[in-house]
Amino acid sequence: MPLLRPVLAVVRRDLRTAARYPLGMTNFVLLSPFYQLILPSLLLGSAFLVQGRSVGLAAMAGTSDLPGFLFTGALVQSLLLGTCWGVNLTLSMDRELGTLEHNFLAPLRRDTFVLGSALASLVISTLAGVLLLVLGEVLFGARYLSAVVLAMPALLLTMVALVGLAHLIAAAVLLLRQADMIVDGVTFALAVLSGVLFPVTVLPVWVRPLALALPTTYALDVLRHQALGTAPLLPVPLAYAAASGGAVALVVVGRWTFRRAERRLEAAGTLVQH
Amino acid sequence: MSTPDGLRAFGATARKEWRTVRRYLANLAFVVFWPLVLPAVYVLEARGFAGGEARALGAFAARAGTAEVAGFLYLGWAVFIWLTIVLWGPGASLRDEQLRGSLESLFLTPSPRWAILFGSAPAHLVLAMAMLATVGLTLRLGLGLAVGPAAALRALAVVAASVPLLFGTGALLGALVLWLRDASGLFMLLRGLFTVLCGVTYPVAVLPGWAQATAAALPPTHVIGALRAALLGGARLAQLWETIALLAAVGLGLCAAAVLLLGRVERHARHGRGFEWY
Repeated sequence: MPLLRPVLAVVRRDLRTAARYPLGMTNFVLLSPFYQLILPSLLLGSAFLVQGRSVGLAAMAGTSDLPGFLFTGALVQSLLLGTCWGVNLTLSMDRELGTLEHNFLAPLRRDTFVLGSALASLVISTLAGVLLLVLGEVLFGARYLSAVVLAMPALLLTMVALVGLAHLIAAAVLLLRQADMIVDGVTFALAVLSGVLFPVTVLPVWVRPLALALPTTYALDVLRHQALGTAPLLPVPLAYAAASGGAVALVVVGRWTFRRAERRLEAAGTLVQH
Repeated sequence: MSTPDGLRAFGATARKEWRTVRRYLANLAFVVFWPLVLPAVYVLEARGFAGGEARALGAFAARAGTAEVAGFLYLGWAVFIWLTIVLWGPGASLRDEQLRGSLESLFLTPSPRWAILFGSAPAHLVLAMAMLATVGLTLRLGLGLAVGPAAALRALAVVAASVPLLFGTGALLGALVLWLRDASGLFMLLRGLFTVLCGVTYPVAVLPGWAQATAAALPPTHVIGALRAALLGGARLAQLWETIALLAAVGLGLCAAAVLLLGRVERHARHGRGFEWY
């Protein structure tokens, strides 16, 4: 397969770079979701505990396992954060180092670099996310059902969707040159709308359609349903259908947008401007 | 250098910093957008945790001392964002000069060091006040929180007493990062520490004993607590006076410590590799 070898080469390059800066990477995909997201939320949730039980969350989501609810959200947050920032930082760094133009002159499809970078980020953030789940169980008393493994296809669909999103981020990085604010806003909005921090039924009615249009919402919902026994938003087969449709749509729109951005840069000759 | 000349140097530094702040309009968007959106997300999260259960809301009110969940969260995040403005503004200003290569030239001028150290504060104070005004308007108009003139004045007293504290922290860190040379790592660590320990999103009462003692030793915990007491807890000025005095005293102490530390860092730089080594 002509695409596979160069993609794997980019994955290897990005993993090597990440291994070169282990503290920065650990802070980015593991520690920051932990102390910026989980701990403050866990402490807020514990202010609502009645005799040690999260009665409010039980009424709202169908589980009183507050740590379990938050750590499953953290897994999806880690995937989102890792992929979006991974692609943004790799492309921005290539541009700053002056290697982006050289890469794009190689006889390869240009989305090879996006795909490789997204896959490398997914490898790292999946490891971090799983580690967060384990930390949740060992240190914070989260209790996952063994059926959690049945949610694997939902997580794979999330990864497909995130590859599509990575193409959109890459297009933004190429066109805007400084896309940190956009990436920050997009990851934050997607995490909130996907229900990382709270059940999406809490969202105002006018925002809910946005949440229900995201494949990550259904994937996280299925994950929580299998891991914690929460009441799902949709019956599981329908949730899978919605997540698959959303993931495919994101990939198609992402690739189309990236190709348009690439052509525009080619015409304008502004690839190396920053 | 005489005091009027020192004040002129301070004014020039402040004007230069204000020009830089205005140059990047995203800074202004930051102070309006995040104070509105970030706490709103945690308000929704609190709704999810309360689940409309009176018992859960009662438990929160007993631990937090107020049933105003939204106000509680908005005020906590306001202080956190203020801290962020201070860290990445005055806290990073000398480091930015160092990265640009202009720090040595700055230290070759006869400007008093306090003017260099605190010159960036006024521009960021404007941003912080705009952010606090945004939060105040959100509480009053968006959330319908009944804030009388007396409560608003008490909150202003807390804010005024906290200004030297927060900008003293920024100046101290500004001097410290010249020595540590890793502003971003230190600031991320501090932000994490403040988020987790200072009660930004939760009442400190939910922390274990040792963590409560640590939280009590961190000044931002008291800024958040005093603001919440003034605006949500109906505390009178007599009840807040002690905290206000403590905040002002610690703030002035931090400002003095920052000037002393910068002096030491400068002496160290003069006898070592200078400021261009980073």
